[in-house]
Amino acid sequence: MTIVSLHRRDAFRIKERAGGPGEIAERNPRIDDGQDDAPGVDDHARFSALVLPHLGDAYSLARWITGSRADAEDVVQDACLRAFRAISGFAGGNARPWVLTIVRNTAYTWLRKNRPSAVLVVEDLEGVEAAQANPGDPDHETPETALIAKADAARLEAAIAALPASYRETLILRDVQGLSYREIAEVTGVPIGTVMSRLARGRDQVIETIGRSAS
Amino acid sequence: MTRPMIHEDPTLPVHAYLDGELDPANALAVEKRMSTDPLLAAECERVDALQRLMRERLPRQAPPPGLRRRIETAVGMQRPRARFAQTQFSWRALAASIVVTAFVAGSSTSMFLAPAQSDLVRNGVVDAHIRALMAPQPIDVASSDRHTVKPWFNGRIPQAPRVVDLAKQDFPLVGGRIDVVDETPVPTLVYAHRKHLISLTAVPDTGHADSAPVLSVANGYNMYRWVEDGVAYWAVSDVASADLDRLVTLFRTTPPDQ
Repeated sequence: MTIVSLHRRDAFRIKERAGGPGEIAERNPRIDDGQDDAPGVDDHARFSALVLPHLGDAYSLARWITGSRADAEDVVQDACLRAFRAISGFAGGNARPWVLTIVRNTAYTWLRKNRPSAVLVVEDLEGVEAAQANPGDPDHETPETALIAKADAARLEAAIAALPASYRETLILRDVQGLSYREIAEVTGVPIGTVMSRLARGRDQVIETIGRSAS
Repeated sequence: MTRPMIHEDPTLPVHAYLDGELDPANALAVEKRMSTDPLLAAECERVDALQRLMRERLPRQAPPPGLRRRIETAVGMQRPRARFAQTQFSWRALAASIVVTAFVAGSSTSMFLAPAQSDLVRNGVVDAHIRALMAPQPIDVASSDRHTVKPWFNGRIPQAPRVVDLAKQDFPLVGGRIDVVDETPVPTLVYAHRKHLISLTAVPDTGHADSAPVLSVANGYNMYRWVEDGVAYWAVSDVASADLDRLVTLFRTTPPDQ
């Protein structure tokens, strides 16, 4: 019974985690550039406690989105400034998804401004996703597990870098940064169902690329 | 255009299963389904292999040096000296100067009193050991297999520690945990010895040259500290110092891939 019904969308439920949709909206970054008041010492303390501990994650995400270390530094610095200006609006809770949301949005804004050709991929998402083959397709190339395990870092990085931006960010947020589906949905602004399908396709595509380059 | 096939995709629960996103009942259902469907079982193996590959080959990168400082300057946490020349008195300026003073004082203190930093680390390591003994379990990842413990660290901190298997020498590996010492998350390995636990914490320390183990006692616990390749190791336990000495020697002389 249960087994058959797993085919259906709502047959398996993602573990409930704290925070309904309302809370998520509440926690989205509010950028207030028109703030006249100079920041108080409290803001600096909050910034130190909430934002600075996630600098490594922020840098890593920015590097994967922009594909460049130098660009990632610019993006993180810009994102931190935005986070600092918005810090009084942070409603509490886990700061990591909040910081990563700002980093992600800053990275795409930065790309749109400085490297518009790279953003094409981002805006063509719908098309890319619709055109993807069903990963359950038996014709799909399916490399052996042993072949996957043998891939070196360079090949793995290249396979991830070749993903469409939406798959790549989802994969990185999950498997490198360890965010939950709910947090990824929050950071990327899409429903959990979309997170799941992007993750599955992204992983299948990386596995396929690794298999192809190995044979 | 709707894409119903995405929701019908039978592999999605497999991914959710591997990601620990399913409640126990659904996890069980997925396991059952995989046991009868070789295609799903194969998908599970491949994705599991990819996850392990990513954990092992894509270690977290620390942000470039100086980035943090540039950001602190950008948000005004470290003001350029010229700003000091403010003549207008305000509580805000006073508060800001307190922050700056605290920073300057803090950095110069650590410059002149280097051992103070080391004391901070020592206390942090002992506190973490005590806290671990009082917690329901002294470890975040329970495994006697170093091939499980090392990758677990890889996904969480910039530098996974050296993990060696000393079970044959009567120091079985119990697992690992992440301690926060002097505001830095650091890896701790936990070994057992005749019902006693030994915490072995690896703190990045590029400021000191390699040094031999030195015994000290803090809060009634025996501790050995030594520096090796830019990492300060701290072994803490209530076992006799001779036993702790033996563990330290074994740990230092056993190659990780043996």
